[in-house]
Amino acid sequence: MDGRVNLSQVAMRFGDFTAIQPTSLEIASGEFFSFLGPSGCGKTTLLNMISGFLTPSEGLVAIGGVDMTRVPVNRRPTAMIFQNLALFPLMSVYRNIEFGLEVRGVDRKKRREKADELLDLVALGGSGDKPVAELSGGQKQRIAIARALAVEPRVLLLDEPLSALDLKLRQHMRTELKAIQRKTGITFIYITHDQGEALTMSDRVAVMCDGRIQQVADPMTLYRQPRTDFVAGFVGENNRFPGRVTAVDGGMVTLDAGLPAPLRGAAASPLEPGDEATLYVRPEQWRVGSASDSSLPFGGVIQAEHFEGAWLTLEIALEQGRTVRAHVPQALESDGVESSFKVGSACRLDYSPRGTLVLPGVERGQSDEEGADVAATA
Amino acid sequence: MWRQLHNRFGLPLTMAIVSLMGIWLIVMVLLPQWQMIDYSFHPALLPAERGGAKDVWSLTNYATFFRNEIHLAIFFKTIWSSVLVTTLTLIVSYPLAYYLAKVATPGQAALCLLLLIIPFWINEILRTFAWYIIFAFRGPLNELLLAVGLIDRPIRFLNGDTGVLVGMVYAYILFMVFPLYNAIESLDTNQIRAARDLGAGWGRTHRRIVIPHAKPGIATGCIMTFMLAAGSYAVPALLGSPGSRWFTQIIYNWFFEGGDWNQGAAYAFLLLVLCIVFVTVIMRIFKVGLGDIAK
Ligand SMILES: Nc1ncnc2c1ncn2[C@@H]1O[C@H](COP(=O)(O)OP(=O)(O)OP(=O)(O)O)[C@@H](O)[C@H]1O
Ligand SMILES: [Mg+2]
Repeated sequence: MDGRVNLSQVAMRFGDFTAIQPTSLEIASGEFFSFLGPSGCGKTTLLNMISGFLTPSEGLVAIGGVDMTRVPVNRRPTAMIFQNLALFPLMSVYRNIEFGLEVRGVDRKKRREKADELLDLVALGGSGDKPVAELSGGQKQRIAIARALAVEPRVLLLDEPLSALDLKLRQHMRTELKAIQRKTGITFIYITHDQGEALTMSDRVAVMCDGRIQQVADPMTLYRQPRTDFVAGFVGENNRFPGRVTAVDGGMVTLDAGLPAPLRGAAASPLEPGDEATLYVRPEQWRVGSASDSSLPFGGVIQAEHFEGAWLTLEIALEQGRTVRAHVPQALESDGVESSFKVGSACRLDYSPRGTLVLPGVERGQSDEEGADVAATA
Repeated sequence: MWRQLHNRFGLPLTMAIVSLMGIWLIVMVLLPQWQMIDYSFHPALLPAERGGAKDVWSLTNYATFFRNEIHLAIFFKTIWSSVLVTTLTLIVSYPLAYYLAKVATPGQAALCLLLLIIPFWINEILRTFAWYIIFAFRGPLNELLLAVGLIDRPIRFLNGDTGVLVGMVYAYILFMVFPLYNAIESLDTNQIRAARDLGAGWGRTHRRIVIPHAKPGIATGCIMTFMLAAGSYAVPALLGSPGSRWFTQIIYNWFFEGGDWNQGAAYAFLLLVLCIVFVTVIMRIFKVGLGDIAK
């Protein structure tokens, strides 16, 4: 049996609330696959259906090509890493890791060998006799991974496993998780609401919203070619310009969004003049210059600036009242142009249409991640 | 504790609270107990003889017990039956407590708890009497079993120990269910799921995860049930037969029928010692300390 996971028309309802809309998906064996979405969008529910804690209201879950409908949790070739880890506090590290082997009737000596091997894998060799309570957060994390790997699952399910760790440790564990996944070749299904985690580790990411998968793609595609408004707003940042198409020329469209100059962008799908469409411009795609630079078509006033280390995020109110976010490299700031990026001062800006994206339709009311969140919990 | 009280109430009030507590403890708990123990080491005398030449410390009252084979037998039978009651109560309560704590929705759990508690608003004697009626030779239970065809002659439930066992399990089940419920409830459900996920069947999940976690609750429940059972009077008196007498009934007889308080006090003290021994043994078996139980 390999580690392929197939969902076919899987849906989950709690009473008359639909947590997961009918969903079909194939996750390849050995893939690092992430589900990314805001809180309450149904990520855990989906994972629980794969692990067997929940039975889908509709549809089939198959692992390695085998239908899992009649296979109970304890017989599935999956292992789960819980958000709170759920290590057994009354047992030592060894006994935690050996638990799954003990269940399978592996003899004591083999269990210990395997446990030592796994402790080495997670770089905690020699701490097998410690009580679990004495470990640090990051160590507990690794023991949880070792415990799950001990049963040699085909599929490892991880439910926001890093969310309890501090930033530094989280970044470190990302690298380790990815390394462990490469070494073991196990399918990893990873759940997170942190796009950084999803984008850095995954082979493919499914972006979810309101119980529905919006897009499945590799991280690069997801960032460059989001297919829906939600994905465009949730993965990375985007400035939205809803408007009407005025001209189409090859892959490029011109959009009237009520700004002094027409906007141009690359169409993701065929559009006709007169269609409603939205242009998305990422903060790093803006070119911001001084108020006197008349080669830049849009004028605005800097409302706020946020120091982010390598760059500065400016909130600029365009003359028409729309506020956009733009990144300015730090280097620029120290080039003497500095004075033009003060809060309250005027500036001019432009973007290059090549890298931008135009999607058909305009979303109303749902403007950013928070908006989506509100919609999801309403 | 003195410090905390002092900080909160000031010196005079603290003195008052502490001395009241002390007086209560001494007058209501220690003195009567001491009086009983003192009684048990003195022979039964007429009021006129008290303080006289015959009023000396002696072990006669205890010797009487150890020489009386019937009383010894009843004593051990009480221990054995109380252990049985405790075990049965545990067996009945564990699934119930697990269901309440981990399976039932909050609504179902509230309903179940209510149904469990309501009968306890009724006096123990009345509840026990209800079983007396149910178990009667021509009572509803026999009628039912006859009607279903499980038996073809009524059974005398009240003749042997069956009635006493059932009555006691029923009378004390709450004292087992609640500590168990509290203990199981505090277990992180993900632990159970993790065990299942790692391949453990239900049996092993309970053996390795739920029961070890619930140990202090199990110990508390067992101790309470055992003490209540061993000290029970109403249930064996109502549901038992002369052949299934309880040690408490012997004590009662010494006090109120034999009129020998000194002898009764010795027997009562033996029961107290038994209970203390039981508590210690249980705590050893479950490897829990007093602190765990008090939680
Ligand atoms: N047992 C249940 N009964 C009723 N509703 C449920 C149940 N489990 C989940 N839900 C609902 O289903 C939706 C999705 O829940 P789920 O736990 O899958 O979200 P999630 O994406 O994992 O969120 P988070 O990131 O906060 O963990 C939520 O609206 C939740 O209220
Ligand atoms: Mg979740």
